[in-house]
Amino acid sequence: MKRKKPSKSGSTSIDSPEVQQIEQLLRFMTEHNLEEFEYSRGDLRIRLRKPSATAMVSAPRVVAAPEIIVAGGLDSTGLSSNTVAGTANASSSASEARASDDLHLVKSPIVGTFYGSPSPGSEPFVKIGAYIEVGQTLCIVEAMKLMNEIESDASGEVIRVFVENGQPVEYGQPLFGIRPSRKK
Amino acid sequence: MGNRYLGFDRAGKNSGPLPAMFQKILVANRGEIALRVICACKELGISTVAVYSEADRNSLHVRFADEAVCIGPARSSESYLNIPQVISAAEITNVDAIHPGYGFLSENANFAKVCEASEITFIGPRPEIIEMMGEKDRARREIRTAGLPTIPGSDGVIENEEQLAKESARIGYPLILKASAGGGGRGMRVVRKQEELLAAFETARSEAQQAFGTPDVYAERFLERPRHIEFQVLGDQHGKVIHLGERECSIQRRHQKLVEESPSPVMDVKRRKDLGAKVVKALEKIGYTNAGTVEFLMDEDGTLYFIEMNTRIQVEHPVTELLTGVDLIKSQIRIAAGEKLDDATGEFQFSGHAIECRINAEDPDTFVPSAGRITTFQAPGGTGVRVDSAAYADAVIPPYYDSMIAKLIVKGRDRSEAIGRMKRALEMFVIEGIKTSIPLHRRIFADSEFAGGKFDTHFIERLLGTNGK
Repeated sequence: MKRKKPSKSGSTSIDSPEVQQIEQLLRFMTEHNLEEFEYSRGDLRIRLRKPSATAMVSAPRVVAAPEIIVAGGLDSTGLSSNTVAGTANASSSASEARASDDLHLVKSPIVGTFYGSPSPGSEPFVKIGAYIEVGQTLCIVEAMKLMNEIESDASGEVIRVFVENGQPVEYGQPLFGIRPSRKK
Repeated sequence: MGNRYLGFDRAGKNSGPLPAMFQKILVANRGEIALRVICACKELGISTVAVYSEADRNSLHVRFADEAVCIGPARSSESYLNIPQVISAAEITNVDAIHPGYGFLSENANFAKVCEASEITFIGPRPEIIEMMGEKDRARREIRTAGLPTIPGSDGVIENEEQLAKESARIGYPLILKASAGGGGRGMRVVRKQEELLAAFETARSEAQQAFGTPDVYAERFLERPRHIEFQVLGDQHGKVIHLGERECSIQRRHQKLVEESPSPVMDVKRRKDLGAKVVKALEKIGYTNAGTVEFLMDEDGTLYFIEMNTRIQVEHPVTELLTGVDLIKSQIRIAAGEKLDDATGEFQFSGHAIECRINAEDPDTFVPSAGRITTFQAPGGTGVRVDSAAYADAVIPPYYDSMIAKLIVKGRDRSEAIGRMKRALEMFVIEGIKTSIPLHRRIFADSEFAGGKFDTHFIERLLGTNGK
């Protein structure tokens, strides 16, 4: 979804110092041919990882799509709820899709409002790291006062959740990134 | 039917002499009309939300709107015609109103109802009016009751020879027999003399039986060389309707208008005043609100017959805008917000002559649509020239939608100046990469029959030397 005006809720915008620093780090990684980089100071932890070299060869025009995790200090798991997609250019779902590389993307089939749990305050349908099956409910997208359960079209591990609870989503917007199970 | 100022209730709730203007409007359309509505909103200081299909991601209406929501795949039925998707987009972006443009959902009474149920203002007439005008037979009856002339006809099926003789005497010749269930020319017979009547009746009935499974036919007056003339109207929610003059739209191919102009070369001040007054009176009686167009066919003797009413903004609205200086889209928005007509349009008068050409992405000889990437897009400019378009160099014209890619509109002090201006503007309009109808328009404007203003709806057939194929 395109929103020209800066969103009030998003803590990371394209112009923010964090993103600029991350971009510097990406250049640093490229210069020194690093595949993985981890950085922590105080309650800030950043881990950058490029896809394997073979993947880079097969898709040479794709901008390096590292996994960027900006973790908050209170997040004991080390995984953050505030996940920024690859190049921090979230203006179109196309670039988001590219950034997620080998992940299977579950996209929103309708326009509406995203809810990660069956009711306010209850446990989310799925968490990062969970293994899910085809047909399993991943979330709800509310459209015209109707709660539409969105089912997974793949089996595997939930690696990414691209949207926040209560966030409006458009048609085709990536909701979840799933690493498909090896065995079918 | 009486006056029905429906819609007044809702506007009246937060009433005061100056109703609150919308903060944000969703534009439920694409292409040039979506961009046109966005322009009007920008000038009124209203935020805009564009909706788009996956095929239109790089469109200008997406670029110039404040927000944009992808509502589905390229296929219209799953995106621009998908009511739940459009309404959801309106809800997540929290808009006050929806402008439907033309085509797509603009004359869908159900969509207008859903908007109302979702507490979003539909910028257009009441759903009941859209529904009534959508049923063409009913619209004709209501309009005739409200005082406008319709084409004389049998008003129903002709059952037998006795009734046929009676109706034909009343209607006069030439008349046309049409299959009630019909369409596409099947079961139609033009009758010019009484001697031909009985044979034609039998043929029409048997053709209708074969084609549609029922022999029912009706009769109406046949217009040999009609002109297509329409009146632009605006109605507010306080019971007032005005007209903004006529547009001549006789230059058409297979009922697709190619050139529109105002004033009509055959309309004079007195006739405009008389017919305009009748139109206004009829629509006030019906309780019409917002923008609309009343379409007439004009017989060779100058008699006008109502054929249908379009309950939306028209493609050719810029012709009237150039002639009157009234911004029709802004007027639509202000009327929908509850403003009175006098405030919405301001004072205006008719001056000069305006002409529009619809530039389509199609082969100018075969009329096959020509989708693809535009490599060069050089629009003409200068005094009295307006181009409404969402096309640009490097834009891709998708094959999924209407082929119209630009409207070229000129204004001159009189018809001859306007024609001269259009000729040079057509010469200076350069679109490369796809085929366009510009060469056809150059032919039309070089034609002496067109220049003389003596034409009818069969003009293009004669120009092309075909049956319009």
